[in-house]
Amino acid sequence: MENALLVGLSRQMALTHELDVLANNIANVDTDGYKADHTLFEQYLMPRASDQSFPGADRGVRFVEDRADWIDMSQGAIQRTGNPLDVAISGSGYFVVQTPSGQQRYTRNGAFSISGSGQLVTSDGSQVVGSSGPIIFQSTDHDISIGPSGIITVREGNSTADSQRGTLQLVTFAQPQLLQKDGGSTFTAPAGVAATPAPADTTVVQGAVEKSNVNAVLAMSRLIEITRSYTDIANLLQAQSDERRSALSQLSQTPSS
Amino acid sequence: MRALDTAATGMAAMDLQVQVIAGNIANMTTTGFKSQRAEFQDLLYEHVQRIGAQASEQGNILPVGIELGSGVKTVGTPRLMTQGSLAQTGNTLDVAIQGDGWFKIQMPDGTFSYTRDGSFQQDAQGRVVTAEGNVVQPTITIPPNASGLTINQQGQVSVTLPGTTTSTILGQLNLTRFANNAGLQANGDNLFTATPASGAPTDTVPGTDGAGTLQQGYLEQSNVEAVSEVSNLIAAQRAYEMNSKVITAADEMLQTTSQLMK
Repeated sequence: MENALLVGLSRQMALTHELDVLANNIANVDTDGYKADHTLFEQYLMPRASDQSFPGADRGVRFVEDRADWIDMSQGAIQRTGNPLDVAISGSGYFVVQTPSGQQRYTRNGAFSISGSGQLVTSDGSQVVGSSGPIIFQSTDHDISIGPSGIITVREGNSTADSQRGTLQLVTFAQPQLLQKDGGSTFTAPAGVAATPAPADTTVVQGAVEKSNVNAVLAMSRLIEITRSYTDIANLLQAQSDERRSALSQLSQTPSS
Repeated sequence: MRALDTAATGMAAMDLQVQVIAGNIANMTTTGFKSQRAEFQDLLYEHVQRIGAQASEQGNILPVGIELGSGVKTVGTPRLMTQGSLAQTGNTLDVAIQGDGWFKIQMPDGTFSYTRDGSFQQDAQGRVVTAEGNVVQPTITIPPNASGLTINQQGQVSVTLPGTTTSTILGQLNLTRFANNAGLQANGDNLFTATPASGAPTDTVPGTDGAGTLQQGYLEQSNVEAVSEVSNLIAAQRAYEMNSKVITAADEMLQTTSQLMK
């Protein structure tokens, strides 16, 4: 009898967890380069009572266990912004950025800017890493152009010829699901997960950013589902508790004779 | 319940997004205005179950973990430093910059501000000043009775003095360039000041070293694009609404739980 209560509770805890994840997705529905999280639940089989002397079949109890979250790495919509320093990745791959403390991070958020010292940086000031080190612009550079392969060319001063300022480094991972979210729309690669150069069909688009890949319609319908099933479980627990109460009150009635 | 706080960060971010859009739309016809945009990033994550943790003694590792995000944060509201379209005014002291660069303006306290708004005037002493009366640098004084004021693409200001037929060069209007235009601080009145993020100002002659050229008789319009602002406004409003629905859902679930106890 207690089991029904606990099974219901395991489901409610899983639903609360799912709501937390969903709330984070919806909060980031407008965050450039954001990748949606999804929850993964699985049933947890309670080990059966080992004593086989019970009359009748001994049936297992199944709990809900929140097994894991996984990141949906699908491509988000590409929005044109017209800003020459906005770069969106079309295809699989990540930009490599370096935090002020020297650690490497990977991101799909290509809303870059130029720092006061002329370096190409992300909007929170982390350095964008090119194929051969940081990308540094001269103070007289203008007409910045970023080609599909990530090559950055500018016109320097009065020159009419293009000068190269570096190439955006694009990397990919054999197992992208091992990447960890690090906040700031960046990912970290845990030890043993090596970055490899992105495939040739990965290109970048200048003057555009990749929007969040959260599907708002799905998120909202999932939200309704979560609240409804939470209420359903609550009703179930209520019914269970009522049943128990009436059983107790009936059993406690002592025969009058 | 964590979802309540997470959704609240989402609502705060969308509130800011609407504020930024409102500022852009309000300045749709402001000369030399550069539109802003709010940039968001996801907030830190709690790694409840770490990815790649060892799952068994045989060395199996967890291919996925449990990460709980805590919402969204605003990282900045940079300005989009794209060129605004040039509108012809015919006024001889209206100057538009085509390309990169800023006019240098001396403020009453002696400091310098920078602007793209080239709707200049003459003050009582004949100096070229902004609409608020601040002197454009380097100071150019137009003598009384001078006629035929021209400002060429390289910034040379010349007039024809009475009794002469050739034009006299009065001075040179320079442009100031920054490594990071988006790092300038806006101070209202279409004026910006240099910050450590913008880099040091470099004065250049228009048309050289990457600076733009000047167009006399034109003004640079605001670079706000009405269509994208309105579509962003719709998206922000809907996102705000969705976050509020998450709060309602979390509230309903808490209510359900509290009703369990009789």
